[in-house]
Amino acid sequence: MYPRKIALAAAALVASALTLSACAPSAPPAATAVAGSQTLTVATTTDVVNYNPLIGNSRSDYWITNLMYPHLLSIANDGSKVPQVATKWGYVNEKTGFYEIRHDLKWSDGQPLTAEDVAWTMNAVKKDKPSGTFYGQLANLDTATAVSPTRVEFTLTKPDSSVVEEIGFWGNIVPKHVFEKAASVAKFANDGTDGGWVSAGPYKLTKVQVGQSYTLDRVDTYPLISGGTPLSAHVVFRVFPDINTEILALQSGEVDLIANALPPAQVAKLKATSGVTVEESVGLGYAHMTYNMDNPDLAKLEVRQALAHAVDYEAIRKVVLQGQAVSTGSSPLMPVLKDYYDSSITEYDFSTDKSRRLMEKAGYTAGSGGVFPVKFRLIYSLQDSVTSQWATLVKDSAAQAGIVIELQGTERNTYLAKTNKGDFDIYAGNFAIMDDPVTNMTLSYLPGGAINYTHVNDSKLNDLIAQGAATTDKGKKVTLMREAAKIVRDNVYDNIMYTQNLYFAHSSKWTGFVSKPSELLSLVNPVSLAGAHPTGK
Amino acid sequence: MRNTAAVAVEVTGSEPVAFENGRASLQTWRAFRREPLGMLALGILLLLVIAAVAAPLIAPYPPSYGDPVLASPNPQHWFGTDSLGRDVFGEVVWGSQQSILVAVAASAIAIVVGTVIAVIGAYFRRLDSFVSVLVDVTLSLPVLPLMILIAALVGPSTTTIILVVAAFSWPEVTRLVRSQALIVVQLPYVDAARLMTTSPLWIIARHIVPAVTPVIVVSVVVTASRAVLSAAGLAFLGLGDPNAWSWGRILYEAQQSGAMSSAWWLTLFPSIAILMLVLAATLLSVAYNDARNPRSRRR
Repeated sequence: MYPRKIALAAAALVASALTLSACAPSAPPAATAVAGSQTLTVATTTDVVNYNPLIGNSRSDYWITNLMYPHLLSIANDGSKVPQVATKWGYVNEKTGFYEIRHDLKWSDGQPLTAEDVAWTMNAVKKDKPSGTFYGQLANLDTATAVSPTRVEFTLTKPDSSVVEEIGFWGNIVPKHVFEKAASVAKFANDGTDGGWVSAGPYKLTKVQVGQSYTLDRVDTYPLISGGTPLSAHVVFRVFPDINTEILALQSGEVDLIANALPPAQVAKLKATSGVTVEESVGLGYAHMTYNMDNPDLAKLEVRQALAHAVDYEAIRKVVLQGQAVSTGSSPLMPVLKDYYDSSITEYDFSTDKSRRLMEKAGYTAGSGGVFPVKFRLIYSLQDSVTSQWATLVKDSAAQAGIVIELQGTERNTYLAKTNKGDFDIYAGNFAIMDDPVTNMTLSYLPGGAINYTHVNDSKLNDLIAQGAATTDKGKKVTLMREAAKIVRDNVYDNIMYTQNLYFAHSSKWTGFVSKPSELLSLVNPVSLAGAHPTGK
Repeated sequence: MRNTAAVAVEVTGSEPVAFENGRASLQTWRAFRREPLGMLALGILLLLVIAAVAAPLIAPYPPSYGDPVLASPNPQHWFGTDSLGRDVFGEVVWGSQQSILVAVAASAIAIVVGTVIAVIGAYFRRLDSFVSVLVDVTLSLPVLPLMILIAALVGPSTTTIILVVAAFSWPEVTRLVRSQALIVVQLPYVDAARLMTTSPLWIIARHIVPAVTPVIVVSVVVTASRAVLSAAGLAFLGLGDPNAWSWGRILYEAQQSGAMSSAWWLTLFPSIAILMLVLAATLLSVAYNDARNPRSRRR
């Protein structure tokens, strides 16, 4: 009987222990932020020029329209795509792609967001050709069809293994019932004069004071964040003259977040500033120089190589970028694209002696001052402060190699016009997001590519890129792209200098921001702003 | 503008002089030496010119980059360093070259063009109304936006800045010189000159231009100081020459680097340099005018 008594006693002890533990105070559950009446104030330096998300945008245009018109896919820090409106995506066959979309999204006027909106947006952009990245991704699209309220299928004119993810990431979805009233989506101002805006993002634009502020009010339901309701009642974008005044406004508590990336030299200082939190956003793009091969001098490989070896890349990353950038090994396959990155492709070494030898090999003889009889004009945008700074370093180091580079910094629109006309010898600039190697190489190195600023036409490279676009075998695609990257590097068809990691500052009184790659998404992406809330301290 | 107008009133109020002579110059110089502000201004201008000419002896040309970045003024870097670690003192010293070059070249072009148009208008009275309208129209143009537009379209360079500043500075010179020249052409000695020759060029060069020289001298200084301000303004907007240091470029780069709010030395020293040049030029022109005009000379 003893065992039975012992068992009973043990059971009694366990029962009493459970009872006591139930009475004991438990740890409080993790604080869950709830929707409140607070306003999140965001600093920007530009006004909104265009409220139509389908047209090429400035930063402020992108940030604000992004809060109203969702994308099918978002992006992770390694460049892979993650669900947003679309829950599944892929290919039915090599010339047919599909998206399965959420069923619980609604436009702010109560209409459901369906596959019909998605298909209509894709077809309208294809038909009306609005300027911008979205249209650029639709080169191989034939037509899109809503086969059910939650499934879109679209046919391609030729196999393209990148197009599903690229369209999903770059394209906004617009409400068919609003935009179809316009004769062309490429000319639709969408300026809210016809009864205001209709949004399916977390916020909806309600008040515009040009030159001063843009006020967005939250929508009732936004299923893409936990809780389903944006936490701040309002998001206000305030326009400031420049980054200096933005920093002062943040320090004084006038704004809660700076949307623009911090200048590299300010990061350390702001990190040490009380009341300011600095967050990193992984870089998914690169800064580069291209040499216009229409110029007879630059058509010579040795001259391009001489220029590539006359740049002190390490100094640029250390001084101008303050160590906030990583080398890509002079390859378009950045280290952040882990599947594609090829560490055997190495950066051009900085050697002015080598540059001189290459120039001599190309048939040039230095004059009495050690200067070769060539002069190259390097263009850059004055609005791009980082490029403006390293352009000077490029000029000075080239001068050491006896190569004269004349800087021509211009206002952004002039710079873009010169770029498109090929009115330059050397182009300096950067791309915010270069997430898909096949797409990037198609645009950058194929004849007629939208960003083929080198004006390169290399049959072997063309063939590799075409094969990469056609194959759905990831392993094969990686091999092809690595081979293509090596050709680009060895022939200096592009001089890729670094990937910059960006830093963004917000008030320490706010938390819950979600960092995404690039300045386009950073901390001002829809999920981030919808989930941001005061710390409560 | 205010100073220019004041100077113009003073000058047009003085007796026109047919031509310079050594005695008058000496008297002017003696009177000028009694103007302490004028002498101070002359000293500052000479200092700046010496700094520009002797820049290689004063400070090494700012390298591409240096270390440390954004250091406050210290014994190694008197004016601190910028966001690329470059010595701001060197930038200011070397920047004086471009600033003074723009001042001299732009004002020289403006003076030549403005004077020629003014004296032609004054001498050939049928052209005068056309010249007046041209000057009024040009003066009524929104100068800064047009300067920005032209500089942006043509592309930033020192030559562009000089031409743009000169293009919008000559009407002021024409207005000043014309008012004086109109008086001169009616004087008896010009009528007498007409009896001696039929060459208007000879009369203009020999008798009219020397008589308006004081106005031209004042205009040179005032136009030069305005040219410095305009050039600095364009450079601050990013429309300066990126291949040469200028005071405006130092300010522009400070703004671009986001360091204006924390690194006060980046804006203070080039601003002081601009202030010194403009203030000195203005004071010099006022003092010269006072010295030149017997009525306002200090006794």
